[in-house]
Amino acid sequence: MSTFIERAKVTCALGGAIVTLSALPKAVPIVHASGGCAGTLSGTYNLASGYKGSGYCGGTMIPTSNIVENDIVFGGEERLEEQIINTVKIIDADLYFVVTGCQVEIIGDDAVGVTHRYRNDKATVLAANTPGFLGDSFKGYEAVLSTIAAELVEKKDVKEKKTITILGIVPGQDVFYRGNIREIERLLNQLGIKANTFFGDGETIEKIRNYGDASLTVVLSENYGIETARVFEQIHQIPYITADLPIGASRTDAFLHKIGERLGIEPAEIEALLAKERKYYYSYIERILDIYTDLDFQRYAIISADTNYAFPLTSFLADDLGWIPHIVVIHDDIDDLRKKEYELKFKQLGSETKPKVVFELQAGQLLNHVRKSWKYNQNDKYFDALSPAFLVGSSLEASVAQKLGAGFLPVVFPITNRAVLDRGYTGYKGGLTLTEDIISALVSDR
Amino acid sequence: MSKLTEGLTYDYLSAEAAPTREARIETCNAFGGSCNSLRTGMGTGCSKNNSRKFAQGGGCQLNLALGIVSSFQNVVVIIHGPLGCGSNNLGRAGTRKTARILKQRPTTTDTIWIQTNLDDTDVITGGIEKLRQAVLYAEQEYRPDAIIIGNSCVPGIIGDDIDTLLNELDGQIAAKVVPIHCEGFKSKYVATGYDSAYHGVLKKMVEPIQRYEKALPNELADSNEKYRHSKIVNLFNVGSTSYGDEVELSRLLTALGLEVRVLPLYSSVEEISRISEAALNISICATHDDYLLGHLKERFGTEYIIDTLPIGIKNTNQWLRVIAKFFKLEKEVEKLIAIETAQLEEALEPFKKVLKGKSVFVGGGETRIFTTGELYQSLGMRVVGLKPHNFDRFAIPMIDSIDDQEAVIDVAPGQPAEELVILSRLKPDLYVGHAQANAWITKLGIPTVPLFGQSFNYMGYSGAFELARKAARVLKNTSLSKKIVSNVALPFRPIWFESNPFDNIKEAKV
Repeated sequence: MSTFIERAKVTCALGGAIVTLSALPKAVPIVHASGGCAGTLSGTYNLASGYKGSGYCGGTMIPTSNIVENDIVFGGEERLEEQIINTVKIIDADLYFVVTGCQVEIIGDDAVGVTHRYRNDKATVLAANTPGFLGDSFKGYEAVLSTIAAELVEKKDVKEKKTITILGIVPGQDVFYRGNIREIERLLNQLGIKANTFFGDGETIEKIRNYGDASLTVVLSENYGIETARVFEQIHQIPYITADLPIGASRTDAFLHKIGERLGIEPAEIEALLAKERKYYYSYIERILDIYTDLDFQRYAIISADTNYAFPLTSFLADDLGWIPHIVVIHDDIDDLRKKEYELKFKQLGSETKPKVVFELQAGQLLNHVRKSWKYNQNDKYFDALSPAFLVGSSLEASVAQKLGAGFLPVVFPITNRAVLDRGYTGYKGGLTLTEDIISALVSDR
Repeated sequence: MSKLTEGLTYDYLSAEAAPTREARIETCNAFGGSCNSLRTGMGTGCSKNNSRKFAQGGGCQLNLALGIVSSFQNVVVIIHGPLGCGSNNLGRAGTRKTARILKQRPTTTDTIWIQTNLDDTDVITGGIEKLRQAVLYAEQEYRPDAIIIGNSCVPGIIGDDIDTLLNELDGQIAAKVVPIHCEGFKSKYVATGYDSAYHGVLKKMVEPIQRYEKALPNELADSNEKYRHSKIVNLFNVGSTSYGDEVELSRLLTALGLEVRVLPLYSSVEEISRISEAALNISICATHDDYLLGHLKERFGTEYIIDTLPIGIKNTNQWLRVIAKFFKLEKEVEKLIAIETAQLEEALEPFKKVLKGKSVFVGGGETRIFTTGELYQSLGMRVVGLKPHNFDRFAIPMIDSIDDQEAVIDVAPGQPAEELVILSRLKPDLYVGHAQANAWITKLGIPTVPLFGQSFNYMGYSGAFELARKAARVLKNTSLSKKIVSNVALPFRPIWFESNPFDNIKEAKV
């Protein structure tokens, strides 16, 4: 049984579906729910995902059936049909996608059935059941993408050896999703690999239709995107692997090796790329050596993140930046087995000290976990404090950082004190950007 | 008393929830026409049941209801529902902190909310146990003065009996436990959320002031106290009033010798519990306050002023005059108005030169858009259209304040598709709009001014100056909207721009 959550850093399945659709090229959600759901959920990401905004047809622009009490009593299918017909007439989109809220699912409206009846040559209209009570945003991401994989992506018998599909980077929940995708694509292209990314620059619905010729799906997450990857596996015979989000040099080295090996690319070719990229990377890292060493910018790292970011971020801070990975507090709602498996990842860290890893749903408990992780100051004359410390988390952790006297940079959702455009933290370039942001946070009061 | 509330009664507390706006007053959220035809439409009641063929997101009463109560000091808000309901706090938590700083309120704790995270099992078995655990967690972790529970659609539809549980817990824990029934599907009108919130507040947080007989009577002290109490007024703020607005309106009322208490947003639970301790309750927005003030009058006998929204010179004057009349300060208020308007008129001169003849369209909450439109009109601008989110008795008298009675009216909560077609034809020089509307208008190439904001003072005389100054400033450089219109597309098919947007409204037969 699930439990209540204090300040959940997710929205619901419908929210995840809406933000996923809004991130797809010229795709428009049609929300079958009460009047507030579409605007509220879209609005959450418009603000809390680094002010990503409404985009092409998000926010108040989202078409929605606006179900009211009367429809709850008599059913809302007729209203939905009218809304679909008029949306296609008025709104210019390459893909329309009906998603549902709690109200209509409880009363048993068959939104998918209504949508299928409507299907014609004029417009591509898909549908999925995405009521909030289905679970968190990641469930909505899976519902939308797995439906696209099953119903929109055309079957292809011949696979392109060097084409892969990237999953697991969830728009909105990953505030830097576009920048993150761009750098991964850039690196893969240098190995002659074409990446299907759904949300990256230059994607179109037409291109997505042709994702069936990929030879591999790479899920950059241990928990999200797997369901969709399985649909690609079952329907399109495309196998999948999981990999960690490649943040910074160490994780990107590992990522490129893993992909290259899997696709049968010559190790020498990969090494050549890594050498070139590392040379570039360290030519810039060199710049911060003076300030880092003169002011002793090594920190105890406190990480508060989801599973997509927790390990890659910790690895960047420990393996690239040389910080002490002290405690990692992870807020995903996953089962115990997956928690145990995830914890094992931290053994790979190169640091002499390994972090304490805690799974905690309640945002308010972070401070307690940090305090419990270090001995209390009994007003001793000599006290080895948890200092200097630096907290990397979401904007909700600002006050905890303040209480701990720690430096602070929000990197995971929600982020409300930074504006994010095309910035990303993946790859070598992303590692440099993250280093810039962290050092900037340390010197920002000057 | 107020003409706007004539015939309305407010004895609803024995019910679990407040009645919806559609049940309580005649109101409309779909109408296309002009000032003139709206007046006729409201008169015949035909606009009441109008709806749309193509609809866009309007808003959820839960957000408005919880927007009020989550501003209270040292409270925890629990959203009884799935994880999406109340998730907008993620985007708003930071602005709440800024607002507290601006309003000089304590910022020692973060805004705390909890979601009961109802899942598919709970839809079948009910979510009462999770709610109990959430309340106990809130009490144990935060020791709040109140724990306020917002009920969402899922428990509303499956019939979770939250009141029985919350009444039980109310007696067991230190915090006041306050249920708010604000299920989104229940009302088309987000303004119902105000009533839903105040229903809970009135039920659980407002108490009669306890008075005790003095052991040692003191006539002088007693009469002093009596005099002081005769001058205490509650000034009711709303989610869109800034600290600047509160300071300006308090300044004017203080000039009339009144002691002003600004309530209830951002107040402490203690301050709210003493809400009945005032000689007069003063509203700045009928749409926001009538349920609360009407009830306080029935329960405590406190008279109230529900008149206009003090934006612009005319409406600020009118608002002050009604209040002054209650205290029999008619002469005094004229003196105040004379001094204030003379100073302001002089200060506005340079802006009038810039704004004269320019056209403006205003969209947002009904009382705010008509008064804001009237202000710009008084500066020499032409109001060419208005888009109220809903329209009801509270704004009917305001129609007359618009010079051009053929100005376009689109009664529409959100619905940017309709609005953008209208604007593409009217091509106003300036758009003044509600949050979440302005970006779309920018894509049409029209410069915008936000209708409200937590750091903008728009009310009273200083607010009139600020609105004038802002419009003039925005027109000093309109490059952004010009660049955007030629580079960023709106999501419509060309045919939509050629159609009559009001054909989208399904008119109810009389």
